[in-house]
Amino acid sequence: MSAISLEQGLLEAAVTALPPDALSAVREAAVASFAANGFPTTRHEDWKYTNLSAAAALSNTWLQDKPAQNEAQAVAIDTEIPEQIDAHWITIINGMVDPDSLSNLDSLIDNGITVSRLTDGVDEGSIIVDDPMSAFNAALLQDGLYIKVADDSTLDKPIGLLLIDDGSVAVTQVRIVIEVGENAKLRIVECPLSAGGDKQFSNSVTQVVLSDSGELDFVRIQQRQKHHLNVNRFAARLKRNSVLNYNNFEFGGELARNDIVADIVGEGASVNLLGLYLAGGRQHIDNHTRVDHRVGPAKSTEEYRGILNGRARCVFNGKAIVHAGADGTDASQSNHNLLLSDQAEIDTKPELEIYADDVKCSHGATVGQLDKSALFYLRSRGLDKDQATQALTRAFASAILSKLAIDECHEYLVSAVDRQLDALIDEE
Amino acid sequence: MNMLEIKNLRAGIGDTEILTGLSLSVKPGEVHAIMGPNGSGKSTLALVIAGHEDYEVYEGTVEFLGKNLLDLEPEERAREGIFLGFQYPVEIPGVNNAYLLKAAVNAKRKHEGLGEIDAFEFLQIARETMAMLDMDPSFLNRGVNEGFSGGEKKRNEILQMAVLKPRLAILDETDSGLDIDALKAVANGINALRDPERSIVLVTHYQRLLDYVEPDFVHVLSQGKIVRSGDKSLALQLEERGYDWVRQAASA
Repeated sequence: MSAISLEQGLLEAAVTALPPDALSAVREAAVASFAANGFPTTRHEDWKYTNLSAAAALSNTWLQDKPAQNEAQAVAIDTEIPEQIDAHWITIINGMVDPDSLSNLDSLIDNGITVSRLTDGVDEGSIIVDDPMSAFNAALLQDGLYIKVADDSTLDKPIGLLLIDDGSVAVTQVRIVIEVGENAKLRIVECPLSAGGDKQFSNSVTQVVLSDSGELDFVRIQQRQKHHLNVNRFAARLKRNSVLNYNNFEFGGELARNDIVADIVGEGASVNLLGLYLAGGRQHIDNHTRVDHRVGPAKSTEEYRGILNGRARCVFNGKAIVHAGADGTDASQSNHNLLLSDQAEIDTKPELEIYADDVKCSHGATVGQLDKSALFYLRSRGLDKDQATQALTRAFASAILSKLAIDECHEYLVSAVDRQLDALIDEE
Repeated sequence: MNMLEIKNLRAGIGDTEILTGLSLSVKPGEVHAIMGPNGSGKSTLALVIAGHEDYEVYEGTVEFLGKNLLDLEPEERAREGIFLGFQYPVEIPGVNNAYLLKAAVNAKRKHEGLGEIDAFEFLQIARETMAMLDMDPSFLNRGVNEGFSGGEKKRNEILQMAVLKPRLAILDETDSGLDIDALKAVANGINALRDPERSIVLVTHYQRLLDYVEPDFVHVLSQGKIVRSGDKSLALQLEERGYDWVRQAASA
């Protein structure tokens, strides 16, 4: 496919046509910033395997119609998630925060938790634009969520985010801004879902600042429909002794690209990235992670696992950069893949760039098939081939599930993984 | 009807023929020991009966209770009542031992038209059997054979056999690598299953196990076929005179 680029003129016209609001200045600044680069193409090293032409084409068509102001409308979507995961749920529909779901959280202010809409007002410079897709996100931003946890505060349950693209808007932008105060703790479960039969493109950005000794556990469970195009960026800045546990479960979508970025600027900080991707059919799932160790001592660990069937194509690129002077850095990365079909493909690349002297770093990647002798062993006990495959793939995935950062979603995820594996194995 | 009827079995991997025309009849209730030197085809025989896909059958027939076994998938053979105790049981981290045991029991029950086993009843059976085999109940909640010692793996095989109650058990070198306590525990497990309706084939290199599990027949396998059959005294003779004795007798 030859590269289709986003038409800058269409973007400018659409942004100009949007009625003025609290985010007008953010949008205007971002349009200018976006103009410098446009959508990344496969000529960019970081986007070598992931082609955004379909997303650009869909965006061009949609921009031509000059999108009107979005409204958050209560939509009926078939999900049992809020019943199954105990959390304070907020619904975001097509990028717009559902005000009713938000008002349920008003009382959290007593716990030191402030949750508000970006349309309620943002400080200048608070919406970060640090790559082309976050610029595109900001250029079309009409709303978003701001979560702030005051110093020394914590919450009994996680905050749950239902990110729903209901099909009425072809291209959506979600922005979540999180600030965790000193010695404060926040847990978030994010569940992107979609409805409607048409192709959709969602471009989301979560930006996080963790103050000294602040802690964030974040679990993303992406189960969008098969024709959905997802681009998602999660960028966190970690100050002294802060902790980030980010768990990423990618099951849905025709395309899912994640950029997980952690910037360690404070000594004693710790980043733990965990991921599981299950892909079949012609799904394309690309996880790019980057941890910058700017100071030491600090620690980062990363473990991503993938199970692929059909003609699925997955990409893992995990980069840890240990900057000059970041002595005492401890960084490890691993990526393990199980290929259930001959035509599935994984491109894996754990990377270390080390400019400091006193560091401990390790990385490794494996790509394999189901263990034939284990398969025969299980079958010799009476389990049929699918059942044995299920058991072995589930075991492979359990290495990630057993380290889940948020207990409240464990049970749900175990059954979601089972469902997804069943569907994958059935494909053959 | 014979439990197992093998006639002129020729089998191997690719073009490498390992079994070169083996015949064997096992009646219900009988315990047979198949002995032979390394490389004589003992494990191949066990794996061919269980249906391992690496092995090709070129000629001959294998019948189980009058049914052609070679047409069945490995899981179908298991559900019909064949159990293979592996020489080297695989470690399967992440697959729970109890899960496997229960799934195996339920697969068989389903095949027999029965509902799933009651969870409480299952645990009771598993725990009782483990006690008999002198196994710690915590093994139930570990990954299948994960981090088990050689002896623990073999006990785990016997545990599965005892819970599944097969009609035909083929135990491949179940005695190898066992210390005397483990050997006795494993032998106890096997003897407990001796039954007029059940047949057991012990594949072994040494006659040590046969001191504890007394076979009705002993066969000597050499170069892919049975070269000598007799009662348990044959095992003792072998122990004394070595395998060269039968090899020479066979080629003479």
